[in-house]
Amino acid sequence: MRNVDLREFSGLFKAYTELRAQENRTVSILAVKGSIASNSRTDIGGISARVYKDGSWGFASSPDLSREAITSVIKAASENAAFLDSREKKGKGALPSTPVTSENLLKTTKPRLSQKELVEFVREIDNHILKAYPNLSSRTISLNCLDMEKILLTSDGSYSHSLIPRSTIRVTMTVEKDGKPVDLSSVYGGLGQFEDAFESPGDIYGGLQTHFEHLMKKSEGVFADAGVKTCVLDAELAGILAHEAIGHTTEADLVLGGSVAGPLLNKEAASPLVTLVDFANTALGVTCPVPVYVDDEGTRAEDAVLIEKGILKGYMHSKESAAHFGVAPTGNARAFQFSDEPLIRMRNTAILPGTSKLADMIASVDDGYYLIRPSNGQADSTSEFMFGVTLGYEIKNGKLGRAIRDTTISGVAFELLKSVTMVSDDMKWTCAGMCGKKQAIPVGMGGPAIKCVVSIGGR
Amino acid sequence: MENGRVTAKRGLEALLRLGADKAQSVVSLVEKHEMNVDAGEFSLLRTTFDTQVRLTAIKGGKRGQTAANQSDPESIERAAADALNIAEASQPDDAYDIAERQPAEVFKAGSDSPDLDKMHMRVAELLKEVKVRHPKTVIRQAFLDFTKTRSFILNSNGVDFETTAGVYRFFTMFSSQEGDNVSSFNYTAFSMRELDKPLLECAGLDRLLRESGEQVKTYPIKGKFVGHVIVTPECLEDILGFLAYSVSDGPMIAGTSIYKDSLNKEVTSPSLTIHCRPVSDEIADGYFVTADGYKAENMTLVDKGVLKGYMLSLYGAKKTGKERAVNQGGAWVIEPGDTSFEDMVKGVDRGIILARFSGGNPSANGDFSGIAKNSYLIENGKIQYPISESMISGNFAEMLMNITAISKERVSSGFSVMPWIAMYGATISGK
Repeated sequence: MRNVDLREFSGLFKAYTELRAQENRTVSILAVKGSIASNSRTDIGGISARVYKDGSWGFASSPDLSREAITSVIKAASENAAFLDSREKKGKGALPSTPVTSENLLKTTKPRLSQKELVEFVREIDNHILKAYPNLSSRTISLNCLDMEKILLTSDGSYSHSLIPRSTIRVTMTVEKDGKPVDLSSVYGGLGQFEDAFESPGDIYGGLQTHFEHLMKKSEGVFADAGVKTCVLDAELAGILAHEAIGHTTEADLVLGGSVAGPLLNKEAASPLVTLVDFANTALGVTCPVPVYVDDEGTRAEDAVLIEKGILKGYMHSKESAAHFGVAPTGNARAFQFSDEPLIRMRNTAILPGTSKLADMIASVDDGYYLIRPSNGQADSTSEFMFGVTLGYEIKNGKLGRAIRDTTISGVAFELLKSVTMVSDDMKWTCAGMCGKKQAIPVGMGGPAIKCVVSIGGR
Repeated sequence: MENGRVTAKRGLEALLRLGADKAQSVVSLVEKHEMNVDAGEFSLLRTTFDTQVRLTAIKGGKRGQTAANQSDPESIERAAADALNIAEASQPDDAYDIAERQPAEVFKAGSDSPDLDKMHMRVAELLKEVKVRHPKTVIRQAFLDFTKTRSFILNSNGVDFETTAGVYRFFTMFSSQEGDNVSSFNYTAFSMRELDKPLLECAGLDRLLRESGEQVKTYPIKGKFVGHVIVTPECLEDILGFLAYSVSDGPMIAGTSIYKDSLNKEVTSPSLTIHCRPVSDEIADGYFVTADGYKAENMTLVDKGVLKGYMLSLYGAKKTGKERAVNQGGAWVIEPGDTSFEDMVKGVDRGIILARFSGGNPSANGDFSGIAKNSYLIENGKIQYPISESMISGNFAEMLMNITAISKERVSSGFSVMPWIAMYGATISGK
């Protein structure tokens, strides 16, 4: 990142101000049926300032990190705050102040791979798939790396420098069945620069074998029987449920906008088997997929316990929402690009493990489904949710049956969580998630498997 | 504002000097002014300036691309060197190419600068009007922005385009509440060149806010049936998105598109005609030049049910041996039908009005399933009540072949012009 000392601009702060220099560096390589369809790097960065005046915010940004540009950005943000304040006159008080100094640079210590070596890495995986699974009609491999580096200075004394990297490889395999394509994707990697996330292409061959076996079963699969069923949702689905269906309703800005979680505070919202936490950076002693140590308002990031043994215990907060609710900020205010303002965003949202064994959970279902992999998901202010499911199996008399074709599950999340009767004792994280809420941003989602009642789409 | 042409030229010259056989340099200067509303109140005024530099180098049949936002000479030199290095690292592919020479041209649309006072007035007016006309409804989030983008597109074949577009864009998400009953959220977006009328009168906003108020009390559909679906203009892009995506680069190159051999064949009912018109008076928020460096032209994707082209880029076209699209999609304009919306509803024995589809990505073969959000049950030709917890599944490709009516009325969002379309064959299931 370009060398910039933000501290020399603190004399220009006339009101509560956040000054942030940021660079997002990406590498993208896409191979489609052996051809390199895309091979690119991006390097997007700049400076932003956000100023608070009695309840109105002003923001400005520029890609230019010169002294003049930084001065102009602070001035423009201050003028924008004054513009809104002069018309709205909200007269709100000061924001909570919890200054912190922090440095977290998660750089690899290994030699960096060149772009050519990364392309070779992809091609080696592609060649392996071609040789090992010759009956595929198509294959796509997508390598993506993101380094997000930020330097933040706030007028109330916080200073933070962070570099949070993420590296993933997504593989999609397709087979033809009766002249129609059937496909399945899997994702590998997660936190870390590429060299820390992957040792060699062979790292993922075991996963690819499992992926292929699932695809073969899926190609012979059946449509799910539409209706309300008892299902075992594996960790990836439990994670997306925690994020999309519960997490969003407990973001304090959405609570203020009328989410269903508003009246549920300190009330029963789930089965007593369910504890759900938005982890800041470390869960059960392990670093999370998207660790946040200090948020983009300069607040030290703390775990936000959303549901504890079935009771809704709290929300995720920025400084402004924390002031409104009279609680401490949780460090959930995050921005994606240098030109984005911080919004209340989740970090690493997960249901905590229980005590059951996955095998026992499947054995306990007479007629239902074991659902393994989600595609996308959406949820509502009512906590009504929908997730695409790209991999799952029938459960008949406690045993796994035929695979099912792509389907969708839905329900009302708080009702679903009340129907949870078993929670597995393991925990897995999904490391490639991007959450969209005005801006896209990387998030972690995780959990154990849960047994619950859910509506499944089909025919 | 800095001189984008100089930067673009500098990028092109650097690419060629460093050894590119063919090169493209695109520089965009983007200025955005955005007024934000959260939970029904003004919250933030945001001003951003950005410079987007996108360089493409082809050398020895290999291609490298970089994107950056620094425009000083050293940064441009570094980005050009990166593009060449990435090309060296790539694999040769005969399909890599750049646009051929076309006459130089300058394009311009919209205003040069925002009217901030008018932006504030229009949003304040909306917040006030919503309280009066739709008292149950809260604007959870909204933003009105003015974005001016000035782009310079140069390549080594002599392409030299300059485009300037200033457009206002509005987005809002809202929900309604009455006692303990909360509606699903809904959202809409539209674009315009000028703020010459109240936001509430733009696109379908007033209707959607009224429907949100109706949706505080919903009922699940009982049982499961196969019936009609009337897709609203706001939801139609989701459905047509399957068709548009299936004829684009990804599925066509991978060979997974179900339409890969369907050129000049029937892919929808004959009543459907789909245009893509990025350079049309009907579209406020279009584009003049494609990412490949071609002057964009309007085209008809589906004419009376027959597929007339593929949405292929230059690379996609060369890779598949098919014709390149004359634009890059979006800006959809659907021909109106001859049935009023009221008569469409009367013609439905049992079905739903699908106002928002919250669903999984459809399979490559078109199978889909998801929830019908903000939607209504129709029985015996009458709208019965707003529904919840109701799933819809079927096959998009099959449903497009089963269109039973297209409305006379259309909604213009500034980036599309869409009617209501009735289709048969979805499985609708409730509790």
